[in-house]
Amino acid sequence: MSNIRFNFPAPVIDASVDRLRQEVRAFLREEVKRGSFEPVTDCWCAGIDTEFSRKLGQQGWIGVTWPKIYGGREWSALHRYVITEELLVAGAPVHAHWIADRQSGPLILATGSETMKRKVLPRIAAGECFIALGLSEPESGSDLASVRTRAQRVNGGWEINGTKLWSSGAQVCQYMTVLARTGERDAANRHGGLTQFLVPLDAPGVSVRGIQDMSGVEHFNESHFDRVFVTDEAVLGQEGEGWKQITSELALERSGPERFLSTFVALETAFQQCAQDLQGRQATVMGMMVARLRALRAMSFGVAALLSEGKSPDVEAALVKDLGTRFEQDIIEGLREFWPIRLKQPFGDELHHLLSDSLLRQPSFTLRGGTNEILKGIVARGLGLR
Amino acid sequence: MEQTDQLILDTATRLFTDHCEAEVVNKAESGEVPDSLLKSIIETGLPLAWVSEEAGGVGGSLALGFGLIRLSAAFALPAPLAETMVANQLLAQAGLEVAVSWAAPIFDASALPRLHGNHVSGIVEEAPGVAEEAVLVVPVAEGDTIRIAVIDPEAVILEPRESLAGEPRTRVTLDTVVPRVLSEPVAGMTEAGLRQFFALVRASQIAGALEKINDLTVAYVQERQQFGRPLGKFQAIQHKVADIAGESALASAAVEQAVRTLSAQKAPFSGAAETGLAVATAKVVTSTASGLVARIAHQSHGAMGFSFEYPLQQYSRRILGWRDEYGTEFYWGEWIAQVVAGEIRDAGSTAWELVSR
Repeated sequence: MSNIRFNFPAPVIDASVDRLRQEVRAFLREEVKRGSFEPVTDCWCAGIDTEFSRKLGQQGWIGVTWPKIYGGREWSALHRYVITEELLVAGAPVHAHWIADRQSGPLILATGSETMKRKVLPRIAAGECFIALGLSEPESGSDLASVRTRAQRVNGGWEINGTKLWSSGAQVCQYMTVLARTGERDAANRHGGLTQFLVPLDAPGVSVRGIQDMSGVEHFNESHFDRVFVTDEAVLGQEGEGWKQITSELALERSGPERFLSTFVALETAFQQCAQDLQGRQATVMGMMVARLRALRAMSFGVAALLSEGKSPDVEAALVKDLGTRFEQDIIEGLREFWPIRLKQPFGDELHHLLSDSLLRQPSFTLRGGTNEILKGIVARGLGLR
Repeated sequence: MEQTDQLILDTATRLFTDHCEAEVVNKAESGEVPDSLLKSIIETGLPLAWVSEEAGGVGGSLALGFGLIRLSAAFALPAPLAETMVANQLLAQAGLEVAVSWAAPIFDASALPRLHGNHVSGIVEEAPGVAEEAVLVVPVAEGDTIRIAVIDPEAVILEPRESLAGEPRTRVTLDTVVPRVLSEPVAGMTEAGLRQFFALVRASQIAGALEKINDLTVAYVQERQQFGRPLGKFQAIQHKVADIAGESALASAAVEQAVRTLSAQKAPFSGAAETGLAVATAKVVTSTASGLVARIAHQSHGAMGFSFEYPLQQYSRRILGWRDEYGTEFYWGEWIAQVVAGEIRDAGSTAWELVSR
C-alpha cells in the first residue's frame, strides 16, 4: 500500500510579489471606476474583451514568467499567480488571453520551434494574439485519447481533418492547439500516436462556429478542419508525444486560482451588502465559505510551490480542482438561502445578477479541464486503487 | 522543518509504532493502563518538546510540537501527550518550572476561573487530559490579565467525564483554592489566544487522524473482496475514497498554514487577529472534514468498521468529538464572518483582503 502524505509547502513571497498585487489591484479599481468593465462571474471563461486583454498586455502582465526575448519578464510563477488572482477576484473579462497565458504559451515555450516562439510569444504577451484549445471532439470528451481528428503527412507538412468542440473563445483567437492522431490506433498503447499542432485559424479549410451555452453566452465553438495544411513548423514537440505534453500541462491547468475563485465576486458582493448587520446563521454560513476558500488557496499555493520545485503534483492538482470547483458551486448554493434566486434579469441589483449568472454557468465548473469523476480516478490511482 | 525536528518526529514514530498498536488503544479504553507506552513517552522527553533547552526541554519549534501532536493522533495515542505539551508550554510562557511527568491544562474555552487575592474560584466543565498524578495547570483571570496557577489535584473537586472516544475529560471545581504556585501576569497571553491555541491543537489532531483513516480505508478496500474482486476496484468506492483523500489534504493544508501563521507571532497565546483567521480556517475545515470522512470511512468499511475490535472506530470517534471541542466549524465560521464584516464596516476593507492576507 502506498501511503500518500500530502504536503503543501508555503511559497516564499517576497516584497515584489506584494507590490505587484497592490499594483494590479489599483489598476483594476481604476478600470472599474472608469466603467471599462462590469465585474462578471466566471470571468475567465465568460468574459471576453480583447481590448481589455490588450490593456493588460500593455501593462506587461501577460506571459510574465517567459524569457524576455519572447516578450516575457522572467518573473516567478508566484508573480503570475497573484496577477491571475486579482483579475479573477475583480471579475475582469480576461478570457481572451487566459488560455494562451496559462498553458498554450508555456507549451509553445517548451515544445515550439525557435521561429514559432519568436513569432507568437511576444504577441501573446502584448495581448494581441489569443489561442484556443482544440482537445475535445463530438465523440471525445473525458476519453480524450479517442480523438478522431487526423493529421497526415503530405508534401512539405501535414494535412489536418476533423472537428474540435467546446473550444472557448476560439472566435477571437488567431490559433488553436489541435490534438490529432498521427499514428495508428494501438489498443496496447492508447495514448501513443497523438501529436499537437499550432494551427492558424485563418488557414484555408478552417471554419469556426459559435455555440451558445445555457446561460446565453456564446463562448464555446465548434471548429471544422477540412484538409487544412500546416507546415512542419506547426508541430508542437515530438510527433507522437502529444499525450505526454497534455498531461504535463494539466497540473498547471488544474491547480490555479480559477478553480476556486470563479464565483468569489458574488461572495464579496454579498459581504459588502450585509456587513452592516451580519449575524446568526448567515454569518456562520458565509464565514465557513471564507475558511474553505483560505484552505483551498493554501492548497493551490502549495501545488504552485511544488511545481516550482520541479515536482509533478498531479494528484494534488486533481484534488484542488475537484474540491475547488465544487466549492465555487457551493458558494452560490449557500448564498441563495439569504438571497433567493428567482429572476434572470438583474433589475439593477448587482448581487442578484452575479448569483443568477453563476447559477446558470456553474454546471460547467465541474466538467471543464477534466470532469471531477476523471479527477477522482486520478486520485484513486495515486492511492493505489487502480 | 529542521533536521533535528525530523529526528524527533522519527523517534516518536518508532516509539508509537512499538508501544501503541491498535490493541493497546482498545485495552486502554477498557481500563488497562498502557504502562510501557506512558513510561517511554516520559523517558524520551516528548512532553517537553516546546520547552526551551535552558528550562530543561527539547527547544522544539511550534511546528515541531504541532507535528508531534498530529502524529500522536495518527496513532490514537491513549496518553495525554498533547495536553501535557500544552500545559508545559503554558508553564514555560509564564516563566514557571515545567512538569517532569504528566500535566493537564485546565481550560475548555469557557470563562476562566478568577483570581481573588491569593485564591482561585471557578468551574471548568470539560478540562482535558487529567490523570490522577497530573499537575493541574490553570490559566486564571484577574481583571484583564491572565496568570498561570499550578494547583494540586487534592485541592479541587475532580469529576471524571469521558470524551466520545473515552479520553479523559474532567469537571474541575475550584473553590477558593490557594495555588501551589502562581505566576505573574503573563505578557502576551489572552483568552482569545488560549482559545486559538487549543483549537489548533484539536485541528492538528484531526488532521493526523484523517490521514490514518485514509490509510485504513485504502488498505481495507484493497483487501476486502466482494463479488469476486476487491472493493477498491469498484468505481463507486474509488470515488468515495478519493473524497476522503481530498478532505484530508485540505485539512492538512489548512492546519499547516495556521501553524506557519502562529509561528510567525512573537507570543503563541497572544490571540492576534491574523492568527485567529488562520486558526479559525483550520478548525472550520478540519471539523467539517470530520463528519464527512467519518461517514464515508464507515460506509467503505461496512459492518467491520463498526466493531470495537477493528481500529477505525478509535479514529472516527476521536474526530467526531474533537470537531466540537474548542469551537465547532459553525462557531469559528461565524467568528471569521464577524471579523470580515467588521473590517468592511470599520475600514472599508474587502473579504478578499482578509483571504489574501
